[in-house]
Parts: sequence; C-alpha cells; structure tokens
Amino acid sequence: MNAILEIKGLKKQFGGVAALSGIDLSIEEGEILGIVGPNGSGKTTLFNVITGVHKPTEGQVSWRGRDITSLAAHEVSGAGIGYTFQQAMAFPGLSVRENVQIACEHARRSSRSYPWTTPSALLDFVGLTALSDEQAGILPFGSLRLLGIALALATRPSLILLDEPAAGLNDRETATLVGLVKQFPAYGISVCVIDHDMKLMQMLCKRLVVLDFGSKIADGLTQAVLTDPKVLEVYLGGAL
Amino acid sequence: MDILIQQLLNGLSIASVITLIAVGVTLIFGLTGIINFAHGEFLMVGSIVTWLAVQAGLGFLPALVLAVLAVGVMGFVLERGLFQFTLTRPTNGFIVSLGLIVVLQHIVIFFYDPNQKSIPRPLAGIWDVAGVRIASVRVMVILVTIAVVAMTFVMVTRSRYGRALRAAVDDRDTAALMGIPVRRYVTGVFVLGSALAGLGGALLIALFPITPFTGGTMVMKGFAVALIGGLGNLTGAVVAGLILGIVEGFSAGYGFSEWTDAYSFALMILVLLLRPNGLFGGTSGPKMA
Amino acid sequence: MYNSLSPIRSLIPVLVVLIVLALVPAMGPSNRMLSLAISAGINIVALYGLSVLFGQTGILSMGHAALVGVGAYAAALLARDTGIGFWLALPLGGVFAAIAAAIIGIPSLRVSGHHFVIMTFAFGQLLTIVLTNGGDYTGAATGLDLQLPVNFFGARADDLMPYYFVVLAFVTLSAVASWAIINSSYGRTLRAIRENEKLAASLGINVGRQKIGAFVVSGVFAGISGVLLAYFLRHISPSQFTSFPSIYLALMVMIGGARLLLGPIAGGILVAFLPEVLNLDPVESRILYGVCLIAVILLLPNGLIAGAIDGWQKLTRSSTRKHPGTQAANAEHASEAGR
Repeated sequence: MNAILEIKGLKKQFGGVAALSGIDLSIEEGEILGIVGPNGSGKTTLFNVITGVHKPTEGQVSWRGRDITSLAAHEVSGAGIGYTFQQAMAFPGLSVRENVQIACEHARRSSRSYPWTTPSALLDFVGLTALSDEQAGILPFGSLRLLGIALALATRPSLILLDEPAAGLNDRETATLVGLVKQFPAYGISVCVIDHDMKLMQMLCKRLVVLDFGSKIADGLTQAVLTDPKVLEVYLGGAL
Repeated sequence: MDILIQQLLNGLSIASVITLIAVGVTLIFGLTGIINFAHGEFLMVGSIVTWLAVQAGLGFLPALVLAVLAVGVMGFVLERGLFQFTLTRPTNGFIVSLGLIVVLQHIVIFFYDPNQKSIPRPLAGIWDVAGVRIASVRVMVILVTIAVVAMTFVMVTRSRYGRALRAAVDDRDTAALMGIPVRRYVTGVFVLGSALAGLGGALLIALFPITPFTGGTMVMKGFAVALIGGLGNLTGAVVAGLILGIVEGFSAGYGFSEWTDAYSFALMILVLLLRPNGLFGGTSGPKMA
Repeated sequence: MYNSLSPIRSLIPVLVVLIVLALVPAMGPSNRMLSLAISAGINIVALYGLSVLFGQTGILSMGHAALVGVGAYAAALLARDTGIGFWLALPLGGVFAAIAAAIIGIPSLRVSGHHFVIMTFAFGQLLTIVLTNGGDYTGAATGLDLQLPVNFFGARADDLMPYYFVVLAFVTLSAVASWAIINSSYGRTLRAIRENEKLAASLGINVGRQKIGAFVVSGVFAGISGVLLAYFLRHISPSQFTSFPSIYLALMVMIGGARLLLGPIAGGILVAFLPEVLNLDPVESRILYGVCLIAVILLLPNGLIAGAIDGWQKLTRSSTRKHPGTQAANAEHASEAGR
C-alpha cells in the first residue's frame, strides 16, 4: 500500500505553547486510520494544519507527493481532501437539499467515478432523503452530523478527515455513522478519523496513531496500540 | 512658528473632544461589542443642552454639568430601551445606532432649526506667551479632557469596579458566575461613555458653533481614533487622539486644511489594513459563549 | 429566508408589480408623483445591488452611496469632457463603479465584521472629501451640471413621463438580473458564504474572491443607478454621496427585506411615498425612517414584507410543520452581516 498523505516533522507553536512538537505520520491508501489522544494532545491543531487553517511553524504535509503545506482551506478541498468539523456545520438558513447542492456545485473535477454525484444520491446514501426540504438549521443533531458527511462526500474526495464525527451522538446514531464510514475505502476514499473515543476507534480503525502533548507516542495496529503500556499510561494512568 | 503653535493648540483642543468620544466608544465596544455610531449624536445633544442652558441664563459650568447629566440619562434610557436587546447580536446594535443617528439629528432639527448654534466664549481671555497668542478656552478644553480621561483611566484600571469590568470583558460568563452583575456593568459603561460624549459636546460648543450634523463628522473621527488605538484599549484611544490632534494641527498650520478630515480616515484605513487590532492592540469585543 | 417556491414562481409577483407600475402613467399622476416615483426607481436599482451584497452574501456596506456617486460623477464627467451621452454612460458608469467597488472591497474584506463596516463608511467619506477637493475638475463642493439630453430613437426621453419608463425599464432589468443571480449556482455560493464561511471554504469556495466579486456586482447596480440619477437631477454634488445616504439605502433595503425579490421595490416605494401618504415634511419623515429602521431590526429582521407574510401565515395557519422553525431560525441569523 502506498501513502497518500505524508506528514513530516510537523511543528506548530502558538506563542510559547508547542501544540505540535514534530509529528511524523502517513495515511495509506484505502485505510481507515485513527488519530487518538486526550484533550490538548494536538489533534485539532493537526487537523487545522492539514486543512489549511493554520500554517505550521515547521514541517511539511504532502499529498500524493505534492507539497500542500501552505494551501488555503478551499484549495485543500480542491486537492481532493474532504473534511468535517468537530462542531456539526451546515448552512442553517438553507434547505438540506440546497446544502448538498452547493457542495456538489463546487466539487472538484475528478477522473474517478463516484457513485454519488447528485444531491439526491448523496442524501440517499446518508439516509437524509426524508429531510431534504427541511431547513438545515433545525435538524436534530444526529441528522446534522450525517449532513456534514454528505457535504464532505460531495466534494469528491480521495481522503476524508473526520474530526470527532461521533461527538454528541447516541449509540444507535454512532453505529449508523460507523456503518457509513466503513464503506468509504471500497469506493476509493481513504479515511482518517480524529477522536478521543477509544470505543469508536476500535470499531472503525485498523491502525491507530496516538498523540500526547503534541508528540506521537504510538503508531501501529489497533490491538497492539491499545495494549501498549505507554498508551495505557496516558489514557488510563496505568495498566488496564 | 507662532501660527504653528496656535494651530497645534487648535488641533489638540479638537482632538480632546474627539478623544472623549473615542474613550466612550472604546469602553462601550470593549465591554459590549456594540458599535454605537450614534455616539456623535450624543455629543451633539450635549452641545445642544449646553446651548439651551446658556440661552436660559445659566453659566457655562452649570450648563456643562447639565449636559453631562442629560446625555448620561439619555444613554441610560437608550441602553435599557434599545441596545440591551442587541447584546447577543452586536451587528444589529450597529444598525440600530444608524437609525438612531437619523432620529436624533432630525428630532433636534424638528424642535430647533438646522442652523448653527453657538454660545459666547466661556473664557474670553487670550494669553500672550512669548509672543504666541493662546486662547485660554482651548487650554481649558485640553485640561478638562486630560483630567476626566485620567480619572476614567484610574477608575478602570485601579478600582474594584474597573477590575470587575475588565474581567467581564475577558470572559463574560465566568464573570457572571463570579457574581459580577454583568448587565448592570454594561449599562454603567454605556452611561459613562454617554456622559463623556455629553462632556465633549459641552466643550465643543465652547470652542465652535455646532449644527445638528456636527455629530456625524465627529463620530467618524472618534471611531477612527478608537480603532487606531485599538478598540477596547483605553490607553490606545488616548495616544491615538493625541497623534491625530498633532497631525491635524500641523496640517492646518501648513495650509492643507481642506484635507484635514481625510487624515483620520486615511490613517484609520491604513491601520486597519496593517494592524487590524490597532496600534496598541484592542480587544475583538467581548467573548460570548 | 427559506423560499420553497420554484424559481419561475418567485418571479411572478415582481412581474405583476412591474406591470402595475407601468400602468401608473395612464392614471394621470401629478408631476410631483412622477418625480417621486422616478427617484424611488433610481434608488431601487441601487437597492438591488445592495440586496445581492447584503441579502445574499451577508455583507453590510456603508459605502453604497459612494458607488452611486462614482456612477453619477462618471456620467457628468463623460458628458462634459467627451460628449459621451446617456446610453453609453450607463454601462461605463457601471464599470467605473465596479472598479471603485473592487478598490474599496479588496482592502476592506481583509478585516472582519464591524471593522469592515467602518472601513466602508470611511471610504465613503473619503470619496466625498476627494470630490470636494477636486477643484474645477470635479466641480468641488458645488458639484457638476449635466447638460446632455437623453434621446431614445430620435425622440427626447428626459421629460418626466418618458424618463419614468426609462427608469422602470432599468428597475425591471435589475429585478430580473437579481432573480437570475438568486436562482443560479452563483447565488447559492453567495448564500453559502452568508450562512457559514468556514464550511463554504471547506467545500472549495474561495470566500475572499467571491466576496470581492459580490462587492463588484453590487457596484455595477450602483453605478447604473448613479447615471440614472445624474441625468434626472441634472446637477450632482459631493454631499449627495456621503456615507449618510448609505444609511438611507441600508434602511430601504432592510425595511423592504434584503432577501426577497420584491424587497428593494417595496423598500424603495415605501420610503419614497410613506411621507406623502402621511403628509410629513422631510424632517418628520426622516424621524419616521429612523424609527422604522430600529423597529424593523429589533422586531422584523427580515423586513416588513417578510414580517407581513409570516404574520399572514400565522393568522391563516398555512405555516404547517414543514417550516416549524422558520421564524425563529430566520430571526437568529437574519441580520448577521460582514462576518
């Protein structure tokens, strides 16, 4: 398998605080990678650097061999990386269908074929067809999360970054989400999930990267990482 | 040289009035995020009240006090009656203030006329200092402003009230949780800012005749000064006011008076582009949950 | 404003209104009425520009009157110095105002929210100062006269009655253009920016560039309005285009409803004719405007028309569970601007 996203020596300082102190990791094509870490470990900063919100103090982000470190947010999407935000985001005053329509209209041109190129297909895939004409601002939270997924998919990504995608969802909704995300690699979309919920990660990811205080402390198959004493120390303060 | 000093004094005395506006604006914005463009009209009302009082036979000083009180009360009424409903959405507060400009200006025109109004100079003395003729009234304006701004500064930075105020600016929710009556402080700051504008109005009409539209030009400069100094930054407002006064004084002194008004705007645009938080770093308004 | 009507259906009310307006001259209105109507129409053209900027993109600008002024002065200067007349001045005025909009927009859009509004206000004032200090070239404070006639296929078109139709034609054009924008993917892009900039960027929308674009589009409308104004008044001066007239324009668009296709027409007509109906003098009418603006912002953030529609829906209970949160949700973000 080849790496489609490579991060080398990524550092990010905010004033005197080092949010990221030299991260190396890569996302392989077709995998679902999980990046875990307690709050404050730098997960969101990493997300923000990749998606162009922040420029790193040092280091490089490469996408399919191309340096995308200094791309702006809208260019990242154009490069083929779709993403959803920690706070469920939508265009509140517009209908659900219009939300997705906008995403479709700005999707990048891709030579690959995607099964969902129309708003209807996307809404169908995530299961929001019944709510198509509702105003996005009044959707129940679980549906809002699904809308976010639909929007990210609409951009025809080759990689989807999900920042705490199940935050605020109950078990049933989480299971629905997991069911959706697991299908992505089959459609040629690699996935990277950023979260601190270990249960979710066990369900979704075959490989895990663990962050703590801005550094990577583990990187490997999920089961191995979960039994790594360093990880247990950080998360549970000791052996399980 | 004498002309220069005279013009400098001119510039500084006007800048004093503008600084009073700027201080009010910056305090109000810093705490509430409200951009009250009608602040200039508060100034104008202060001038009008002074004018009315002097017409009715009162001396300048009582008239000034009356103006400060009147505008303070007006600020209280407007905050309670209008602006408090826009606290969660400061942009609405801004638009409301635009409507207020129109209303206040034209209410004054309705009751009085749109013509110039003036009062006799409260201090007619002209001092001769080393060959330079200095109008004592200008000096008075500058001194009063310095005194008032200094008092405000001390109050905001040293007193308990001031500390609580700054805590509320930093984090409104936590301040509320700590028992700081944020709403009351918001009203208080609004009244204080208004009172400062009222004072500015009284001082202004001591210097020049005013019209119901004077507020409009002054408010832009007041905002420019507040922005250049950094919205929410008291020291910044004062220093920026000083700079503007000197610049305008020089410009008038060297004969570029038609462009005087342009400086504050041009300078403000430049500062906003290069250092959006102002020269001394302002707040970006109160943090709301 | 959540609009579930299909695109064509949303155009019908406007067309109806326009047809009615076209019949007005047949009812023998007085010269004063016609004059007022023409002024209203000229404003309405500018308001359609503002509705694209504010209604669709969510950017509140206090420099719109300045852009109208650019169009007006362009018309006057072209007429005086090059002999270029009405029909050519129209697109040129639009172009000049569009350029001015880009000049104002590019720096202004680097700053957010309140800073932005103040910047546009400052630019507006700056323009007035530049015009006033422009000496003989710009006519300084006295301003410029416009002497060229307006001809339409050989006949004079600048008497009140024919000019009314000219202005009405441009109002129609503006309305249709606005309708086209609203119902196109461009309009959706602007709305996306208005609703959630961060999300819009994540979907590939170049927010900065689109905002400047919206500014430029609004400038085109404003410039054309300015040319119409110059040829109507025959004399223009800097004081007509300060930032304070921008307040009146904002007022008109908000009262009518910035997001509705009928909004600019409603706002323009209301503000022009309400004082007539109530027999108010200019001072009284301005007090009324100010109060209306405040009331509308606090009580009916979507404008009078939308408020009336909502009120009607509540009365007839035709607002079913399909739009349960409409009023509240709209009030939530109706007046957010220039984030």
